[in-house]
Parts: sequence; C-alpha cells; structure tokens
Amino acid sequence: MARLVTILVALLAVPAGFAQQQQQDEQFKKAGVCARCHVISVVEWGMSRHSHVATDCLACHGKSEGHVIDERNNVKPERIPHGAAVAALCAGCHSEGCPKTKQKTGCETCHHVHALVNPNQPPAVRNEALEKRTVQWERYTRQMAAGEQAMKARQWQAARAALLSALKESPGDRRANELLRACERRISGRVPGFDNAGGAFDDATGLPREVRVSGIGIPMVLASGGDVDLGSDRFANARPVHTVSVKPFYLGKYEVTQAEWTALMGSNPSLPKGDRLPVNQISWEDAQAFIKKLNEKVPGAGFRLPTEAEWEFAARAGAVAGASLSDVACFDQTGAAAGPQPVGSRKPNQLGIYDLQGNVWEWTSSLAKPYPFDASDGRESPDAAGLRILRGGGYADSADLLDPAMRHAERPNRAFRWNGLRLARSVPD
Amino acid sequence: MENRVTRRNFLRSSGAGIVAAGLGASGAGARAAPAAEYRRGGMVYRRLGQTDLYVSLLSFGSHTDPADRRPGGPNRTVLSEEGQARRDRIILRAMDYGVNLLDVYETEGQWEPTARLLKGRRDKMLVSLAHEISARDIDNACRLFGHVDLYRFHTADIDSQALHNWDVLRKAREAGKIRAIGIATHIERTMTVALDELEGIDYLFFPYNFIHARADYSQFLPAAISRNVGLIAMKPLASGSIMKLDPRARAGMKPEFEDLQLWQRRNKPILPAAVAELTRSLDRMPDETLCMAAMRFVFSRPFLSTAITGMFHETLLEDNYKALTRYREMRPEEHAALSAASRLARLCGDAWLPPHYRWLEEEWRA
Repeated sequence: MARLVTILVALLAVPAGFAQQQQQDEQFKKAGVCARCHVISVVEWGMSRHSHVATDCLACHGKSEGHVIDERNNVKPERIPHGAAVAALCAGCHSEGCPKTKQKTGCETCHHVHALVNPNQPPAVRNEALEKRTVQWERYTRQMAAGEQAMKARQWQAARAALLSALKESPGDRRANELLRACERRISGRVPGFDNAGGAFDDATGLPREVRVSGIGIPMVLASGGDVDLGSDRFANARPVHTVSVKPFYLGKYEVTQAEWTALMGSNPSLPKGDRLPVNQISWEDAQAFIKKLNEKVPGAGFRLPTEAEWEFAARAGAVAGASLSDVACFDQTGAAAGPQPVGSRKPNQLGIYDLQGNVWEWTSSLAKPYPFDASDGRESPDAAGLRILRGGGYADSADLLDPAMRHAERPNRAFRWNGLRLARSVPD
Repeated sequence: MENRVTRRNFLRSSGAGIVAAGLGASGAGARAAPAAEYRRGGMVYRRLGQTDLYVSLLSFGSHTDPADRRPGGPNRTVLSEEGQARRDRIILRAMDYGVNLLDVYETEGQWEPTARLLKGRRDKMLVSLAHEISARDIDNACRLFGHVDLYRFHTADIDSQALHNWDVLRKAREAGKIRAIGIATHIERTMTVALDELEGIDYLFFPYNFIHARADYSQFLPAAISRNVGLIAMKPLASGSIMKLDPRARAGMKPEFEDLQLWQRRNKPILPAAVAELTRSLDRMPDETLCMAAMRFVFSRPFLSTAITGMFHETLLEDNYKALTRYREMRPEEHAALSAASRLARLCGDAWLPPHYRWLEEEWRA
C-alpha cells in the first residue's frame, strides 16, 4: 500500500515539476539577454509580481548596451538606482504610494531593490546577519563610487577620505586599497629613488609616467599593468597561449647603454664600443652584478630585470598599430645589420619605450620553464639553477625572431655579443 | 587586473569560506616510449636522439662526384649539367629504396638543384644542411626548402665562435625553422666537450668505420648514449678509400677505378701476404664486396641512428642497399675479411687514404 502511495505522489509531482520548469523558462525568455549572467536576479524578479506586469530590467537599468557586450564587466549598466531613485521608479506605477502602508519613500526597506520580498509572503526565516551585511554593502558601494568619482575629478583628498570610509566597511578590500594607494601616491607626487621626468601622471596608479633614477639619470617608463595574453601557437616553447595579470612596474626607456654600464662597473665588455650603444656581450650573471651595484648606489630603489611576463606585457601593450617593424626595431632586414645601433635610433612604442624589439636581446629574470607562466613556481628565484630567458630579438636576427612571444633560453654564465639588458623595478607600495 | 568586488562575493565573505575541492592531478599513466626503430620495405628507420625524426639507416651523403665538379665562384663548385642529372637520378633512386635523409652542401652548389628536385617530394625526404651559421643563411635555406630538418656546423673546437654559432642555431630551432641541430667534428675530445657545452644538442656527426672505430673506446659515446643524443656516422667507407683495399673492386664502382687498379698493382708486391689473406677471406663470401661488409659493420652498430655516405654511382647505392637489407648479425667470414682489410690498411700506413683524409688514421684508428 505504502509503495502504491509513493508511486502516486511521484506521478503527481512530475507534472508539477514540469509546470514550474515551464514557468521559469518563461521568465528567462522575458528577461532576455540579462538572464545570461544575472540568473539569480531573474529568478528573484520572476518570484515578484513585477514579471507579470512586464516591468523588466530595462525599465530601471536602461538599455545598457555597453554593459551587455562587455564580457569582463568593466562597463556598468546605464542606471543603477539607489535610495530615492528607487522610490521614484516605484512611483511610476504606484503613484498613490505603497498599497499597504501608503509610504512614498524607502520602498527598498521592505521590498529590496528588485522587489524580492513580497510583504504578503514574508520570507520564512529572517537572516539578520545577511541584512546587516547588505546594508554594509550598500554603504561600501556608495563610498567606492564617491571615491572613484572624486579620482576622476582629480580631487585626491576627497577621494582618499571616501576610500578610507569604504575600507572601514570592507577592511582589506583589494580594489579600495589599490585606489587608496594611487591617491596617496598622487598626493605625495614622488617615488623613492626616482626624479620625476615628465610631470604626467597615470590616473589608475597615481604614479608619474616617466621618471629618472636619482643621481644616475637612467630614464624609466611606467607600464600600468593589467592582463596580457602570453605566448603564441607559432613557437613550440611558447604554447599554450594563456592570460597572466601583471602588476604595474617601471621599465627602462632604453636598453642599458655602454656609458651607463661603464660608469657603474668601471669596464665595458661590449663590441663594438660606443657610449650610446647598448651594452652587450654580458651574461645574466653580469647583469645581476650590475643591478646589485645599482641598488647599492640607489638605496631602496629595488632595481631588477623584468620578468618575461612583464617584458611581453610591455611589448604587446606598447605595440604600435599599423607601424612597420623596421620603424620601431633594429634587426637584420637585408642581411646588412653589422652591429647594434645607438639606443633610441628607432621610434618608441606606444608606452614610450625604445628598442624593445631588436637591437640586443634582453635578459629577463625568469628561468626557462614551460608555460603557463606562474611567477610563484620558483621560476623567478634568483638563486635557482637553470637557463634564463632572453626576449626581443637582436640586430643580427630576422623579423620572426623579434616576435613578442619568442623565448630564447641561455645559460646564465654565457655572454654573447647580441645580448644586453633593460632595467625594471616594481612599483613601490 | 580587475579587483572590483561583486555584491555576491561581498555577502559571501561574511559566511563560511568556500572550500575548494582540489582535484589531485592524477597521473594519466606513463606515456609509452616511442619506438627506437622500425622497418618499412627493406629500409630500417631509427629515431634521431630525442627528436621526433626517424631517419633511414642509410643516408645520402653531401659530396658530389669530383669528376663532374666545375668552379662555381669563390670557395664553391657546381656540377656539370650531366653530373647534376646523374646525381638527381641517384637521389630519386635512393628515395625509391626508402632513403629519407639527404645531406646537401651549398659549397658544392647543391641547395638550389636539390630544392628543385624535392619540389612535390619534400615530405618524403629530410634535408640535412651544413653551412655558414647566420640568420640570413638559415632564412635562405628555409626559403628554398620550406624548413630545414637537420642543420649543423663543422668545428674543430668548442670555442667562442662555436658557441655563437650554436646560439644562432638554437634560436632558429626555437623559431621552428630547424627541427634538429648538431655539429660535425673530426676530433674526439671536441665531441665530449660539445655534449656538455652545447645546450640541447640533438645529434653528432663523427667518423666511424671498421678501421676508424676509435669511438668504440671513447668517452663521448657512452655520454651521448646516456643523454640520448643522435649519432650519425660519416666516412663509413673512409671517403671511398676502403674500396681501394678491395683486390676485387669492380669496374665502374668509382670513376678513379683505373687508379685503384694501378694502386693495387703497385702495392701488391710489397704486401703479398696481407693481400692474399684478404683475397682468401673475400673468396669465402662471393656475393659480397669488402665495401658491403664495411657498410654492414656500421649498420650493425645499435647506437648509430644512420650512416651517411656519398654515392656517386647507382651500383654503389645498390650495394649499400643490399648490405642493409641483409641487416642481421655479422657473419664470421665477414669479420675475417674486415680484419684482413684492417691489417692491410695498417701495413700501408696512411698511404691508402687521400692526403686530405689522413687525419682519419691519426684521430680515429681503433
């Protein structure tokens, strides 16, 4: 008997399940493109009565075409109503105010912004911690928005205050911390170990775009960091293509010249000789010795070689669209390149960096390990044994070796006449 | 780089953290090791070191027939029209036999004629080049051949120039222009040094035949085998001079056949016992020449990927192919013939070798 009852219940449940599924499908159809990402919101909207009276996402958020096509969610919807703006939208239909309380403001106190909570059917269990956290979230987003707006308006002190408030709501928040650091850098206007060279600042990081090493004068350019697709299917050792996040860093505007090398090291191993020619015939170990001396001379500056991810970021982010390679790089186009050219002889890339491709190969700090690139897997350890990566191609190479994805591994004690270096340093905290 | 906090993450951060269930990277089982050798038709193919190339045990050498050479510019010769046609015909015949490695010298004017010959057949032949090492020369070779399968340079020592050349070759391999890179050297010590100093070396060319088999006792051989570096034997017939030791050398084997006969007649009186012993040994293997036995000796060495030899005449190609198709354990009478020939060569000093190949006796005599 019990078995029979079970079967009957199951048979009844199946059509009910179908009906629920059909209802949800209908909601998703109505929600249109928004349902692709905002699944939970659409389900919540379907639970409220708004879905029945055709009040859809567009009514409150606008068409938001930019938001719809932006997969990385950098573009916000056209409108994100808060507080009084929500009440104003509600008043579009409920002109008499709340049907129950007749209140015309503070609708979201009972109904939340998506009218999730139907006062006629209150949620079975009230989650007070969640409600408190929701309020906290709204305060956080308000402060963050105010901070970002102030940064756009270059009101650095106001932005700093707003971001500090946001951090109170969400301590340790990465984004808020980054923006706060950018504000503070912008307020102080100085980077330790550097003299500001150009006067222009990067809004995202608050750092000067171009600087010179104090007392030495080596110019460096800011690469503001971001995501970069490393690798290429063209080269066996550059597969697979993968995305890596690179933090902001400074990169030498030019390859280190023979004059700069000689001034610090007292001797010049390069061939041919020339003050403005890039230093060459140096090993990775020689480059490390140079950097060690430089760091002793400029305390706290933290000079180093770029990682190969940083190098490729600078090469890809700085690529000049439509420019021919020979405009920006010195390489063996006709078999006539007899040697390196003075640094800066060609045009700079979009970041303002010269000779990133061509002239001399540039040592990176990275060990020659297979991709994907992971800076935490020991490949950036200065003491680890193994081959180190060179990037960029040289004056004696043909164009395909100047590809930004081309990786060449060499023993750290080997010095060839087409290998040089370019300085890098992390952005100070 | 986008650190923006989403509402969902913000709310979630107040609750319990999400426990990510890490799936252990379970080993998908050890990869089956690729075969070291396989046979197709009569030809045997062996893997070249750690590369993905399989080369025929008999390879076609680079030297062109001196009788057909003409000056073709500074330090360069070319073949006469007739000589080129003969060489092309022998190469095509070798391809029919399954030979899939062809060594080509530009100093003997062979890059362009070979590229023309291989048009439409490039997938059936691996091209091995040895030339000056510069990006321009490599690009030029790629323009002619599409890509280069093997590229090497010849060096007496691993000095700074050799290291520079090696750097250029490695870059070309990393860029996908060359599939395997190596060196050729006539000096045993250089090979040992090369294994340590030349990063990522794929193969070594070295002299090896039954008389000049010092490699069997060398340091580099076990080192190369343990590092799985491909080994290619050159001079398996000591630049054709082993034929000179054969009292039964057939007419038409080499253009200088008349010279051979003359040399035999001149030397016979002073080496009667040794020549008689060799003749007796050869009589016991009537279907085989001394050169075939010499090639069979080289083919029987398991550590070699291939033996590369110049073939100026179709009969020589056929003999080499026959020696290969009989590929099995060497017979006692073959060993006896090779020992007799070795003794005869020793009695002759280095006079049986052309003057520019006498280094073989100094460096490689076992």
